[in-house]
Amino acid sequence: MTVTGQEITDYVDRVRAALADLPPTVRDELTEDLPEHLAEVAAEADGALVDRLGTPEAYAAELRAAAGAEPGRRPTRFHRLAEARQETATQLRLLDRQLGPVFGHETVSDFLRPLRPAWWLVRGWLAALLVAAMTDGRSGLVPRMDGNTSGGLLLLIGAIVVSLWWGRRSAGITGWPRRLHHLGTAALLLFSVAVLADVDRNASSDFYGGYEQVSVDHRYDRIEDVFVYDQQGRLIRDARLFDQNGVPIQLGWPSCTDGSGAVPEMRNTYPYCPELAPFAPTASAPVAPTTTP
Amino acid sequence: MRTSVFCVDATQLLKGVLDLAVLAVLKDEDGYGYDILRRLREAGLTEVGDASVYGTLRRLFAAGLLTTYVVPSESGPHRKYYSLNASGRDQLTRSGKTWRSFATTMDALLDDRGMAA
Repeated sequence: MTVTGQEITDYVDRVRAALADLPPTVRDELTEDLPEHLAEVAAEADGALVDRLGTPEAYAAELRAAAGAEPGRRPTRFHRLAEARQETATQLRLLDRQLGPVFGHETVSDFLRPLRPAWWLVRGWLAALLVAAMTDGRSGLVPRMDGNTSGGLLLLIGAIVVSLWWGRRSAGITGWPRRLHHLGTAALLLFSVAVLADVDRNASSDFYGGYEQVSVDHRYDRIEDVFVYDQQGRLIRDARLFDQNGVPIQLGWPSCTDGSGAVPEMRNTYPYCPELAPFAPTASAPVAPTTTP
Repeated sequence: MRTSVFCVDATQLLKGVLDLAVLAVLKDEDGYGYDILRRLREAGLTEVGDASVYGTLRRLFAAGLLTTYVVPSESGPHRKYYSLNASGRDQLTRSGKTWRSFATTMDALLDDRGMAA
């Protein structure tokens, strides 16, 4: 029986399959001479290749052992990635140990471990904020459901309870739930950066700028103008209003035109439009008293 | 305690000296895989496995002891020839000495005890 080309191809394929765990370049190098060699062996004498060389798997094992190619390596692409990951992990472990004394512990991990429940609380709060932001769109530092603060508080408590529960449970998970867990944590951290940026922007804008220059209260949004009468029922013009801190009180807005047809400019003196007084002014002479705090 | 006792057989010995044997058959003449295998068998190393020789060639090449070149052939497939470089020759000299000294020691040991060669 003579050896056919097909038999050689099959043999080569099976040897290559048995070396599939090697990096492709190494495998190619190890098997590049094989078809020619098998052709020589076939030409030498009759008989099946398997009878003379053993099984392709045994041949592959012998080749591997003689070449000193260790098994179990991943393909190069992933191999390089895994190597980088390994390197990073080593560096982190080193840093962990080096920086430990700064925190008064052997390693930074030792210092951080007791703080984990605090992170679980923060995580619950972040999760509640995220849910609120997704359903509502508006979000401060307290979650709101459709502008409803008590609903938001319920959500907050629920999220924190779940987070604490998960914190106690998540230590032992492996495989894809663990990956999902890491993904979720990364998403929350990303979201927390967005929250921080938002709060920071609000804090630095004039609207929340600490000491307020004008006392404004939106409960009086419906008030257009303020009319102050003295004891005799006379309308006081150009009255100034102040709160207990000496801050001018601003209410309403000019809603009329003066003689020249222009809207009076916004001042902190009332009324803007004396002619619209609800009670007819009895005093013909304008009085100009000023209220003081 | 059978497991700790090695029966001396050619296959086991060959593993230790195949590198040296391959370097030796390439000393005077370059050769391709099958050719090298045949030289080893003709020299008396009949037990040597095909894959072992190819694997050894690959490893010696990776270690920088051999260089390769491809020779086109009209009759058959292109052949990859292996040849000794300077490091390979150094290695052959050193390993050869080690082997000779080891073999001489073993011979003397057996001779002293009256064992026929």
